[in-house]
Amino acid sequence: MSTDLSSGPEADRFPTVARLALVLLLLFGFLVAIQMIGGGIKLMGKGASEGLMGEGLNPFAGLSVGVLATVLVQSSSTTTATIVSLVGNGGLAVHSAVPMVMGANIGTTITNTLVSMGHVRQGPEFQRAFAAATVHDFFNLMCVVTLLPLELATGFLERSASGLTDLLYGGSAGGEMSSPLKEAVRACYGAMVSAMQFLGLSRTPLAVAVLVLGVFLTFFCLILVTKNMRVVISGQMERSLNRALERSGLIGLGVGVALTVAVQSSSITTSLMVPMCAAGVLTLENAFPIMLGANIGTTVTALFASLATDPAGLTIALVHLLFNLTGVLLVYPVPAIRAVPLRLARGLALRAQRNHLWLPAYVIGTFVLLPLVGWLVT
Amino acid sequence: MLRWLQRIGPESPGLNVIHRHFLQMLDDGRHIFDAAANCVLGAGDPEVIREDLYTTDKRINLTEQLIRREIVVHGSIYGATTFPALLVMMSLVKDAERIGDYAKNLFELAEVRPPLGGDEERQAVIGLKDQVSKLLVRAHGLFDAQDEDAAREFLIENDAVQKHCDDEVARLLCAEGENASARVLVHRYFKRVTGHAGNVVSSIVMPVDKIDYFPGKPHSEQ
Repeated sequence: MSTDLSSGPEADRFPTVARLALVLLLLFGFLVAIQMIGGGIKLMGKGASEGLMGEGLNPFAGLSVGVLATVLVQSSSTTTATIVSLVGNGGLAVHSAVPMVMGANIGTTITNTLVSMGHVRQGPEFQRAFAAATVHDFFNLMCVVTLLPLELATGFLERSASGLTDLLYGGSAGGEMSSPLKEAVRACYGAMVSAMQFLGLSRTPLAVAVLVLGVFLTFFCLILVTKNMRVVISGQMERSLNRALERSGLIGLGVGVALTVAVQSSSITTSLMVPMCAAGVLTLENAFPIMLGANIGTTVTALFASLATDPAGLTIALVHLLFNLTGVLLVYPVPAIRAVPLRLARGLALRAQRNHLWLPAYVIGTFVLLPLVGWLVT
Repeated sequence: MLRWLQRIGPESPGLNVIHRHFLQMLDDGRHIFDAAANCVLGAGDPEVIREDLYTTDKRINLTEQLIRREIVVHGSIYGATTFPALLVMMSLVKDAERIGDYAKNLFELAEVRPPLGGDEERQAVIGLKDQVSKLLVRAHGLFDAQDEDAAREFLIENDAVQKHCDDEVARLLCAEGENASARVLVHRYFKRVTGHAGNVVSSIVMPVDKIDYFPGKPHSEQ
């Protein structure tokens, strides 16, 4: 114990450098997967892609699709990356995708809510855990309730993101920016499609195979990136969280952003808060900014995915970033507004502790029934 | 045992930080034990050391809380594989904290009672105090080095000191004289300090469920 274990023989079983090299390879695989999703949609033809992803759906149905898709795959990164791919390859319009990325934000919070259920028999401990899990839900719900109508009325997120895209693409957002990375991704994608054609696939079966393989590969690469990065940065994660325990505000926000960018998963960051809050070593007030940081950090995945797409992909990725930044700026700086999600989470946790039926009612109601009804009705 | 438990877990600098903080607790405990015992023996002025003693005891308590928080964070990140090592540490920080508490008890005794009188008896207590102090220094070194053979030797000596304290308490309970009750308390506190140091060292050689229950421990405490 006196020696640093991270530099000991245990660490050499799979050296950090090798893990980082693997992560780079997986990130390249992720970009290829994004290209495959978009390519698969293109191969299906315009009509099919509109039917598949609900082009023309009203915004509430789009929101429901985002929530349900994320709940199903338990990863907002996979959902937003897929949306970026679809938008970036012309399969979905930016304005149709905006509610979907908002829905992905809500859907991703189910993971830490499920984690908190591990404490269900512990009384006050469960109350703290459940409040820590649902404060993120309430924040995201508040943001959607506030910003979605505003976006529908003004389109401020889409317009700001388009402006930024124009700026980044040097005023040629309608065109295409080439890079060696993009060329390499396309070459790899082309080789995979050729291999499938060589196996006898063509037309619709080829398109479906490319699309399914793309979604699977996106999921697979993101999971492995998260797992490996979690091992690589676990020491740093521990140091950062120890530092953030008794501090609030910007430090927590920064820790949340940094950890989530590093592991490419907001669920990892937010789920870590649950046992620490349950044990009482982290207060809800101090966990909250870390979760907000996780919301911002998770947008990096979509931004990265946009590297493999056309400028519209970057636009929707920037919408995701701007939506989360705006949410933080709206809620966090004003103490009275900041207190709202905290109070709602504590109130729900108290009720759930007194009567456990609140648990399934909340989870199924928020993450399944509400979006399902919203989707079916609209 | 503890080192072995740590090695099966994932790599982490976090356990090293916990380890370092724990060693600081042991150092602080030994420091205030010496200071308090000197006051009881008339070799220190309570007025002079009071502030240092209470400040150090407060630091011990804060370090205990810090370690507990670090244990929760570490367990949250690394999961079940580190739980045995963390449970050991959770138990040991209480032992280290109790050493500080007994030192404080000794000091409070020195404040309300005059120093132990009678040269012969006093010399015997001085000798015992030196023995306990050396055991505390050795407990720190052994825990740092995780030396199993030396830990077993330590536990045998530690047991002998505790037995001596028990014998003295039994003798003094039947004795007469104005300092008899003070001496009973002194020996009782010395025994408890030695016992907690023994618990810390027992973690080196005993499995998780048998920490504090090392072979040779007085029957009454098994």
